[in-house]
Amino acid sequence: MTPGPGRRLIPAYLVTGGRSTPSGPALDRLAVLLRTDAELPPGAGTEQRRLCGLLDPGALTVVECAAHLELPVSATVFLATDLVASGHLRARPPIPRAGEIDRSLVERLLVGLRSLH
Amino acid sequence: MLPWIVALAAVGTAIWHAVRAYQAGRDAYAASARAELADRQARAAEARTLALTEEIRQLAEKRIPAAATALSHRAAPVPGLREAAGVEGDAARLLTDAVQAARTAILEERRRVDAAARAAMRGTSAKIQSLLNQSQHLLQELQHEYDDPRVLQLDFRNELALRRTQATAVLCDAWPGLARQNSSLVEIVLGAQSRVGGYERIKVANHLRQERLALVARAAEPLAIALAELLANATAYSHPDTEVPVTVQQAAGRGALVLVDDAGIGMDDDALKRARALLAGPSEVLLTELGDPPQTGFAVVGRLVARYGFSCHIEPSPYGGMRAMLRIPAHLLTVMDDDRTLSVLAPAPVPAHPDAPGGGATDTGPAADSAAPDSLAPDSLAPGSLAPGSAEPVATTGTDPTTGTDPATAARDSTGPGVPEAGTPALPSRRRRARRATAPDGGTAARTRETGVEPDLRTPEQAGASWAALQQGTLSGRSASAPSASPSDDQGDDET
Repeated sequence: MTPGPGRRLIPAYLVTGGRSTPSGPALDRLAVLLRTDAELPPGAGTEQRRLCGLLDPGALTVVECAAHLELPVSATVFLATDLVASGHLRARPPIPRAGEIDRSLVERLLVGLRSLH
Repeated sequence: MLPWIVALAAVGTAIWHAVRAYQAGRDAYAASARAELADRQARAAEARTLALTEEIRQLAEKRIPAAATALSHRAAPVPGLREAAGVEGDAARLLTDAVQAARTAILEERRRVDAAARAAMRGTSAKIQSLLNQSQHLLQELQHEYDDPRVLQLDFRNELALRRTQATAVLCDAWPGLARQNSSLVEIVLGAQSRVGGYERIKVANHLRQERLALVARAAEPLAIALAELLANATAYSHPDTEVPVTVQQAAGRGALVLVDDAGIGMDDDALKRARALLAGPSEVLLTELGDPPQTGFAVVGRLVARYGFSCHIEPSPYGGMRAMLRIPAHLLTVMDDDRTLSVLAPAPVPAHPDAPGGGATDTGPAADSAAPDSLAPDSLAPGSLAPGSAEPVATTGTDPTTGTDPATAARDSTGPGVPEAGTPALPSRRRRARRATAPDGGTAARTRETGVEPDLRTPEQAGASWAALQQGTLSGRSASAPSASPSDDQGDDET
């Protein structure tokens, strides 16, 4: 009859402000966020200040920010997209995983380099 | 002699006859009078019986049904005796007693049925509540596993359903169904906000002097429920384009106050009177009195008010709609332990109106709302009067507004120290602070560029331009020295 302990008080979806999708291009969870020089307006929310404060020393990925803010990635994406849209953050697509290099491409490059001589 | 005797006898007989005739006449008269009387009495009795029958008919057909109706519709008239003169006092009293007895019986029965309905709903809602709580746990796990924003939406729907169920349970005299620890007042307000459709319109302004002001464990969830109902009313009865400002402030008598304003349609006098009666915390609220569809909001708040000792008052708001004031008495307040960090989303205690910065900004904040009734004005006085263990937090948060700094920088300062506290001990943080400090000293062009944010992000066009420059340089140099090499260079260019 009694529910499980520790029902959370503040849900993460509050960040979305009632929107169903982020107001901009979707950010990957490994996208890198960087702070720009733009000052936050005085009316900015605490969570926006916290996110910008996190990024002041340097760049972090979305998932790292989410962990610091104790929010799910999906909610952090809303927050970050807003700040990117308002010009307070920059987002860089994730660094792609290093893959197998196309061997033929390397060979052709080698041919090209040799032919320079 | 004889004739005398005969004459005497005749006279005697005549007299006797006369007397008898007279007597007979008198008797006949009396008899007819008695008969008339009896007749009249019989007719009167018949009339009384008829009147009584009519009254009983009135009782059965009009008075008792009307009395029953009047129990649920207070304005409905209850007719009395048809002809008060037609029945004796005793009968009239007994008839009225019958109405009263019927009324009592109906009330008893209604209470019993209502209690049965409440018990049934209490059981059901407790079950649903626990299921919804379980799905909330699952949804929260999903949120951390998957990045689909639809999980957030699902969580919101779940929370809405949970609020409804919880409110129903509270209305049916159930325990709020959740034990919490001492919880920050601002977090409770946000929690209540999150349970309401249209929560994005609710703007919470935190005017607390003591940032870590919290509710004692047993009152935390009840306050969240009550506040959620007030917020639901405010959002439901105001235009979707308007905001619902919520002000959290400390009151003069060591209590706290949450104000919910809306710019909605307001309430008429009847509704206001009814709402105030419900908010006063009556000992029993019948489901049958809540209307169809039931208006549960104020009734739920009233139940919680009666049980936990808040008080709630509503009045016309300076914003145009209604203002609900929820007062939390001092004995339900405490200060949170220092090792608990506040949620990221909790608004920092800054003045609600950034255009009124500087000294005592927290004090002018609520006053700037007013138009607020003058009873609220002294609420923002008496600083630091809260709890004995609250000295340090008051000192740290209290300095910001009083130093007269720009609210924006003040807010940054107050959140600034919070960041490392919240983040660093718990999580491995990959910060670039140290490396970046040395990086410019390393002196390579690439690293210096990295510190400036602007060139760090190389757009495809920039990359293209720099490579094009390199290529042109190579081409021009090559064309000057060895023109034969150019075809192979083109080949390489195509492939990259």
